[in-house]
Amino acid sequence: MKRSLPGRSGKIIGAIMLKDLRLYGRNKIYVVLTVLTLACFGALFWLIPGTVEETITLAISPPLQTIINEGKEALRELGASAEMLQELEQTEFAEEGLELVGLESAAQLRRAVEGTLEVYRPKGGGDLILRDKAAGEKKPKDAQRVQLDIGIAFPDSFIAGVAGREKTTVTVYANADVPEEIRQAMQSFVREIAYQLAGRELPVELPAEETIILGPDRSGAQASMRDKMRPLLAFFALVLETYAMASLISTELLQRTVTALLVTPMKMWHFLAAKTLFGTGLALLQGLTILVLVGAFTPANWLLLLTIMLLGSLLFTGVAMLIGAAGKDFLDQLIYALLFSVPLMIPAFAVLFPGTAAAWVRVIPSYPIAELLANTTIYGSSWRDSLGLLGYALLWGAVLYAMSLLVLKRKVESL
Amino acid sequence: MSLKRIWSILRKDLKLGPRHPFFLLAVIMPVVLTFIFQVAFGSLFEPRPRLGIVDQAQSEITSSVRQMEGIELTLLDDVETLKKQVEENDLDAGLVLPAGFDEAVRAGKRPKLEFYIGGESLASNRIILTVTAIDLLRGIEGGGAPVEVKTVQLGEGGLPVAVRLVPMLVFYALVMAGLWVPAASLVEEKEKGTFTALLVSPARTTEVLAAKWILGFILSLIMAAATLLLNRAFGPRPLEVLAVIAVAALLNCMLGLLVGVVSKNSTMFFSLVKGTGIFLFAPVVFYIFPHWPQWIARIFPLYWIMEPIWQVSVMGRPLGSVRLELAVALAITLALVPLIAALNRRAQA
Repeated sequence: MKRSLPGRSGKIIGAIMLKDLRLYGRNKIYVVLTVLTLACFGALFWLIPGTVEETITLAISPPLQTIINEGKEALRELGASAEMLQELEQTEFAEEGLELVGLESAAQLRRAVEGTLEVYRPKGGGDLILRDKAAGEKKPKDAQRVQLDIGIAFPDSFIAGVAGREKTTVTVYANADVPEEIRQAMQSFVREIAYQLAGRELPVELPAEETIILGPDRSGAQASMRDKMRPLLAFFALVLETYAMASLISTELLQRTVTALLVTPMKMWHFLAAKTLFGTGLALLQGLTILVLVGAFTPANWLLLLTIMLLGSLLFTGVAMLIGAAGKDFLDQLIYALLFSVPLMIPAFAVLFPGTAAAWVRVIPSYPIAELLANTTIYGSSWRDSLGLLGYALLWGAVLYAMSLLVLKRKVESL
Repeated sequence: MSLKRIWSILRKDLKLGPRHPFFLLAVIMPVVLTFIFQVAFGSLFEPRPRLGIVDQAQSEITSSVRQMEGIELTLLDDVETLKKQVEENDLDAGLVLPAGFDEAVRAGKRPKLEFYIGGESLASNRIILTVTAIDLLRGIEGGGAPVEVKTVQLGEGGLPVAVRLVPMLVFYALVMAGLWVPAASLVEEKEKGTFTALLVSPARTTEVLAAKWILGFILSLIMAAATLLLNRAFGPRPLEVLAVIAVAALLNCMLGLLVGVVSKNSTMFFSLVKGTGIFLFAPVVFYIFPHWPQWIARIFPLYWIMEPIWQVSVMGRPLGSVRLELAVALAITLALVPLIAALNRRAQA
C-alpha cells in the first residue's frame, strides 16, 4: 500500500532527526560534557548566595540601653519632666535597614571594627560572645560571627551633653572597606539623633511613609543573586546549544552530505524541518533541565515557562541555522557564533542590574526571552502580564527563523 | 623533530593567521572585554545608592549631593519622570525641590518634603539616602549641629573592583589567544583535511603540534601583556611580570593542544569548550569575591597561573613569593606533554 504524502514526509524528517541524534549519541564526549555542564550549572546555582544583604550592621558603644539609662539619670538631674523621660525611653533608634550591636566600651568597638576582636551571636539567642583571636581564644560553638565594619562610640555623657547644649564629640570608627556613602550616612545619623535630643524639629514636614514608597515594596524580600541567576542559566543553556547546533549544520554543508541527501527522496524542506525540530528540541530539553535543576517550575508558571523556552529554543535555532549557513569553514563559523552570541547575551546580563533595560537593549532579539524568563521566574509574572513580550518574542523568532531558512536554503542550493 | 619544519609550519600560520578574522577576534576581545567589564559591569559588583532630583530651586542640596562620592545623582526635569524612574527601580529614591525651597527652610516655614523611595530599593540604600537628605536639609536650616562627629578610619582598604576584575580580563586574553587559537587551528586543519595532507610531507604530527603551541604562546604572551597594560596593572617589576605571563602562556597553550588533539571535529571542540570552560574560569571568581574561602580556588588548574599574575603584576610582589605556584604550573605543563603525545598517537592510529 502506498504511504500518504504527510506520512512519507514525516518518515523522512524522522530519519534525518534520528541520524542527527545518532551522531550526537556517538559523540560520547559531547554527551558526557553536556550532562556535566548541566550538572555544573545546577550546582553553581545552589552555591550562589540566596539572600540579599540589605542591612547595615552598626556597632555602638556603650549599648543603647546604657546610653538611655545614663541619659535619663542626667536629664532628671537637669530637671526634665516625667513625659520627657518616658519619651526618651520609647525612642526608637534602630530603623529598618539598620542593625545595632551594642559593645561595652569604645576600645572594644575599635578592635571589633579593626577585626582584632571577633564578635559572635549565639544561635539560640543571648549575650554576644567576644573572641580575642590573638590571645588564642577558641571560636565559640553554635554561634555566628557578626561582621562589624563600622561603629559609633558615644561618650558616656552623650544625652546629657547634647540636651545641656555642651560641646559633645562622637567618634565614628570605620573600616577602610566601608563605602563612603555609608560613612557619610552614619555621620548624618549621629547628627540627627543629636538634633532630636536637643529638641530641634525637622525643618521640613515629612510625608506619610505609605505615600512615598513607589511600586511594590520588596524590602526584606529582594530578589537575590541566586534568584537572578535562574533565568540567566536557562538562557545560557540556549546560547550554548546554538554553538553545537550551528556546527551540526555547517558540517553537513562543508562535507556536502546535504547535497548527497538531496538525490534521495528527501526534499529541501524536509532537511530544514528536521534541523528545526532537532535543534529546537535539543535546546528546549537542555533549557528545561536547567530550569528543573534550579527549581524554577511551580504549578502556576510551568506552562508559561514551557512556552517561553519553546519560543527561545526556536529563536536560537534560527540563529544557529544562520551561523551554520554563513560560515565558509569551521573558524568562520566560530567567529560568527561569537559575533552573534555576545550581543544576544547582553539582555540576559541586563537582568542582573536594577531597573529597566536601556532602549538599545530592548531591540536586541533575545531581549523578550530574557525579560520573560526573569519576570516569570523572579517576579512571578502571569500570562496576562507576559502577553506583550510573548508577542514580541514570537515576532523576533519568526523574523530570525524566516531569515535563517532563506539563507540556509540558498546556501544548500548553491552547493 | 626538525626545528626547520616547525618554523615552516609556524611561518605559514603566522602568515595566514592575521588574515583570518579569528586572530583579529583574539586581539580585539581583550580590549572589548576590558571596556565591558570595567565600564559597563563595574557597577554590578559595587552598586551605589541612586538618587534622582528635580531641582526647580537651584538648591544647595543638589550641589552638595553632586560632590558626594558615594551617591549616584541623576537630575530630572519633571516630577512624573522622577516618580516613574523610582517606581521602575531605575532610581533608589527621588527628591523634588520646588522653587523657593531653600528660602522656605531657612525662614522656618517647614515646607512639605516631596521624597519618594523605590519599593525595590535595598533597605540600606533607603536609610543612606533618607538620612543623608535630612542631614542636608539641616545644613540649609543652619544653626550648627549640636554634636561634633569625628571619623577614624581603621585598617587598609580592600582593592577596588576595577583591580579585582584584572584576573578575569587576563584570563580571557590567555584563553582566547593561548587556548582557543591553537585548538581551533588544529580542528580546522582536521576538518579541512590539511592535517592529513601535511602527514604525507616530511613533517611529523609532533612538529605540527609544536608549531601550533608556539603560535599560541606568542599570541597569548602578547595579549596578556597588552591586557595588563590596558588595565594599568603591569606592576613595579615588568620583567618578572613577563616571566609569570610566560609560564601562564606555556600552560594555556598546552591545554589548547590537548583540546585540539582530543577534538575530532568542531562539535567536539565546542563541547569541550562548553564543558571545561567553567572549571577553567572558576579560580578567577575568587579574586572578584575575596570574602569567599580562597582555598577552593586551588583545586582548579588555572589558579596556579592566575595567582602568580595577581601577586606579581597587581600586588607588586617579587617573583620569589610565587615560587610554589609557578613550580606547580610548570609541573602541570610538563605532565600534559606525555598525555598529549599519547592522545595524538592514538588519534593517528
